Amino acid sequence: MAESGSSGRFSSSLTGSTLPPPRTRIFKIIVIGDSGVGKTCLTYRFCAGKFPEKTEATIGVDFRERLVEIDGEKIKIQLWDTAGQERFRKSMVQHYYRNVHAVVFVYDVTNAASFRSLPAWIEECKQHALGTEVPRILVGNKCDLQDSIQVSTDTAQQFADTHSMPLFETSAKNPNRNSDHVEAIFMTVAHKLKSQKPLVLSQPTTCGCF
Amino acid sequence: MCSDPVDIETLKRAAGTKGGLLTDEVRRKVWPKLLNINVYKLPHKPGRAVRKNHKDYNQVVLDVSRSMKRFPKGMPAADRGALQEQLIDIILEVLKCNPQLHYYQGYHDVTVSLLLVVGERMAIAMLDKLSNYHLRDFMDPTMDSTKHILNYLMPILEQVDSELHDFMIRAEVGTIFALSWLITWFGHVLSDFKHTLRLYDFFLSSHPLMPIYLAATIVLHREKEVKQAECDMAMVHHLLSRIPQDLPYELLICQAQDLFDQYPPSLLAKQAALQSHKRMVKMAVWGLSATLGAAAFAVAQTAMDWGPEVLLQLF
Ligand SMILES: Nc1nc2c(ncn2[C@@H]2O[C@H](COP(=O)(O)OP(=O)(O)O)[C@@H](O)[C@H]2O)c(=O)[nH]1
Ligand SMILES: [Mg+2]
Repeated sequence: MAESGSSGRFSSSLTGSTLPPPRTRIFKIIVIGDSGVGKTCLTYRFCAGKFPEKTEATIGVDFRERLVEIDGEKIKIQLWDTAGQERFRKSMVQHYYRNVHAVVFVYDVTNAASFRSLPAWIEECKQHALGTEVPRILVGNKCDLQDSIQVSTDTAQQFADTHSMPLFETSAKNPNRNSDHVEAIFMTVAHKLKSQKPLVLSQPTTCGCF
Repeated sequence: MCSDPVDIETLKRAAGTKGGLLTDEVRRKVWPKLLNINVYKLPHKPGRAVRKNHKDYNQVVLDVSRSMKRFPKGMPAADRGALQEQLIDIILEVLKCNPQLHYYQGYHDVTVSLLLVVGERMAIAMLDKLSNYHLRDFMDPTMDSTKHILNYLMPILEQVDSELHDFMIRAEVGTIFALSWLITWFGHVLSDFKHTLRLYDFFLSSHPLMPIYLAATIVLHREKEVKQAECDMAMVHHLLSRIPQDLPYELLICQAQDLFDQYPPSLLAKQAALQSHKRMVKMAVWGLSATLGAAAFAVAQTAMDWGPEVLLQLF
């Protein structure tokens, strides 16, 4: 798509002012996994603080963000929520893999097929130059449905170890009864990113869009 | 409209003019005619078998079960549940009859709009027609054709407001913000069903690329907001993908029609082709595209007229 223009953007943000404006760093995190595993619910939960009453199929990519403070620094966490259906990935979502700082892989603990799809998702990320050098985490969602679990913690942990990712099991719906809160998961990623430097993307704080 | 043969041109004009077809009762009569459907030979209700062994079954069920927002607010849950079951059957039936077509998330948003107006059997007939014509390109094995159709958006903007166009190019916003608009005819993003219906009147009586022209008028309508936004992919994507619910639809429909007349697809095909990846362009230019969907067809035809300087840019 729009291949040109990036140079323009950077040069325009570098010229013009003598004092560098205070900057809010942006962490761009892409959330991927099969359709129905709860990507939209998880991102919504983190950005809006609650489980959405009604979600809808995500068509293309959706975008949510939240301003957080880590060690006194204000940081904008951008979550890119992607469509799970395979056909959208190949030609559509590509554009949004650019400049991604971290990847969150999601599967549904009550759906073994969604777990089996993970290698394909990991491969997909590698093709977009998102391999082990960017922070990646694995999230098993829907832990509130204790009676229908199909993917055991052991199996998932083994897989996570093989791919050197931390594993979190949680529930977008009812995280309190489980060990890992959705909040804590995304904040872990943010901390990890903050401890890495230098970060590529930044922008003036005077945004005021949200 | 009861006269037979009906004057399709008059119906089309009515569907495109102020207010559209006004009531669902009128729509029930006119929509099938716009698609040239034989109302005396409607498909039968699908049987149980339609749900067996269909590769898209799970995805369809998942999407339909998440489609609550598409139903009228006060509708009793039991009624809605029954309609959702019909929705699944309709979709699977049409897919089964057309094995060359592939389900996409959003197809269910189109289907529900039809079902709520014309009922199950007519919805099957209409969906079958639409899937083979207006929606055909979205139902390829991949979304390459869809992406290509989205490529018409920026050239339209460029014609009308080059400043806005350049801003969006600089922001690298892409066109995915308009994806659900295009493939669901805005059914996925409008919360007031009467607006969706109004647009369906318009699209049913228009060229398959018309949703792109309407998308352009919406972006142009919000030109000030866009230009004031930060020139950044995320910001502009976010702004544009959240569609205001109080848009002046009648005005935008007129503008879309005007844009279409002024800059018909054949005129834009060249710029659109140059936006896409080279492989796609080659496919379109050499007519290798699997479908003869509106866009690919236009490109293939227009390519004959292109000068060598354009063709060279493809390689
Ligand atoms: N029980 C339970 N259901 C969930 C949870 N997260 C999501 N869901 C449900 O799973 C379905 C799919 O969720 P959604 O976020 O749309 O999935 P996506 O396709 O990955 O974005 C919806 O019906 C949600 O209500 C969860 O943690 N627990
Ligand atoms: Mg989703």
